[in-house]
Amino acid sequence: MVAAGLVYMTITAPQQAFTVMLDGAGNAVELALSLFAVYAVWLSVLEIMDKTGISKAVNRLFSPLWRRIFRGEDEKSLEYISLNFSANLLGMGSAATPMGIKAMESMSRGREKASDNMILFLVFNATSIQLIPATVIGMRAASGSADAADIILPSLLATLISTLTGVLLAKLCAKICAKINGRGGKKLPLERS
Amino acid sequence: MSAYIIPLFILVVIVVGFFRRVPVYGSFVTGVKGSLDLLLSIMPYFTVILIAVELFTASGLGAKLERLLEPAFTALGIPSELTQLVIIRPLSGNGSIAMLQTLMNEYGADSYIVRCGSVIVGASETTFYVATIYFSTVKEKKLRYAIPVCLAASLVGAVAACALCRIM
Repeated sequence: MVAAGLVYMTITAPQQAFTVMLDGAGNAVELALSLFAVYAVWLSVLEIMDKTGISKAVNRLFSPLWRRIFRGEDEKSLEYISLNFSANLLGMGSAATPMGIKAMESMSRGREKASDNMILFLVFNATSIQLIPATVIGMRAASGSADAADIILPSLLATLISTLTGVLLAKLCAKICAKINGRGGKKLPLERS
Repeated sequence: MSAYIIPLFILVVIVVGFFRRVPVYGSFVTGVKGSLDLLLSIMPYFTVILIAVELFTASGLGAKLERLLEPAFTALGIPSELTQLVIIRPLSGNGSIAMLQTLMNEYGADSYIVRCGSVIVGASETTFYVATIYFSTVKEKKLRYAIPVCLAASLVGAVAACALCRIM
């Protein structure tokens, strides 16, 4: 993508190409600062949650569901997955990210390729599962909407539809991949070790 | 209401921490240290992505893709005013928020276009950014079918958003 953009840019506006790249890197610096602030707070809270056993309690609540969807994952991964989903649902997107990264780390176990479960987890997060889109509602209210919150229901339905589509597609792709590799889905649990 | 969720939640965690005799101050220091490590490991990846996104939009490639996809999107029921938003949404969170604001100023917050746009933005995520960050601390860089599946799901979500806003 960098190459494609750069080639096209060199043809259309060569004098701006470098500035544009610096702009992109500058955005990254800004993002890094705000992410550091967010992670510093949430990873600290997560640390306390781990030590007090709150993480385990949250996990006990949701793990039956996640155990079924993410087959073959260990207790620690399920714990992070539960925390990530709870944070997403409550609209604490900033807290969900660091917990999601931990879940990915825990699920990967140093393998070379992304496992089907990891991709499934990404699909959940990339299709958004929040209950109330607070930012957008705030923007509409500020722009003088008569009923800024009337998008909650359609948003919820649209999110459900996209997440369901994503999960089904991911499961389908996993099946197809397993077939192409000629081993079938049954061998998956063995790959863990 | 929702403004109370985060502070109350953190407060509860800290209070429980005191009762269970967890070193709260020490945990915070460990957390901050951990966040520095995390940031260092993910920063190279999102820097490259942000440079790519900037090049993609500024070079006019984005506009080209827009013209290419517009007929298909219209056929799916996405109004042509929203084509650009649907394309930018998986690439840039700030970009799509800014675009939604422009649409609001132009069409008014209660118009069909803006309600659709709001649902599209509110019901989706910055796919490329999420994928980069989530996979950045993990060794593997082979995402296999991850990105196409996410993008297809988001597109289905956008089509559903436009259809839902017509009847709701």
